[in-house]
Amino acid sequence: MISCTCIVQAGQVSAEMEATLRTNLSAFAERAFGEPAQINWRAIPERSGFTAAKPSTSSIISMTANKPIAQPERADLLKEMCALWVRETHRSLDEVVGVISDPQT
Amino acid sequence: MPLYLCNAAKGAISDAAKPKIAADITRIHCAVTGAPAQFVHAFFVEEDAAPPLDGKSAVLFGSIRGGRSDAQKDQIISEMRKSIQTHAGLDLEDIGMLTTDVPASWAFEGGEVMPEPGEEAEWLARHQRATAAE
Repeated sequence: MISCTCIVQAGQVSAEMEATLRTNLSAFAERAFGEPAQINWRAIPERSGFTAAKPSTSSIISMTANKPIAQPERADLLKEMCALWVRETHRSLDEVVGVISDPQT
Repeated sequence: MPLYLCNAAKGAISDAAKPKIAADITRIHCAVTGAPAQFVHAFFVEEDAAPPLDGKSAVLFGSIRGGRSDAQKDQIISEMRKSIQTHAGLDLEDIGMLTTDVPASWAFEGGEVMPEPGEEAEWLARHQRATAAE
């Protein structure tokens, strides 16, 4: 399983949208790494998230690959992962942070 | 990125203190590293599994772009712990903090791979041009 953590601001993502995002992220992991994602979903309580010291609307999606990835491939995967998030949430790319890490050695 | 995630015991950091600490986290990170404020995320949770409290009242975990010196990281840790002490009224010994380096090339923000430390101005200019063209 590919480890994936999604950090969102509470109230920003409905239960239905969360279910779709989980499905789409797992399908993405399967395509990219050959394994589905195990998703750790964390909601930041209201009045508890800040970006540039202002109330945050940002989401963080962090996935750990099961193999080292060359940078051109990583950049493409990051773009695809963030695009699927934006497509479903209707948020802007400025409100999404994506991270794809190499496996820990 | 950076993402500063603060886990605290229930009620240890009030809602009134959070924006003050977040403002300090943003100011300190930008002053020490030269990064733009828009990159700085400060999130607060309570009684969460991560970062583990390990007996502390609050633990701040910073995921920052790699390339910062040990002196910069020491300054960040020292000043951010003091901010939490000041605004939450906790003892300094009761506040933990650690950082981890994340290669800039592993992170994507604003539709682009994040810049290496020191290359932010060029990245921001390119990002603003792209945004204006949309």
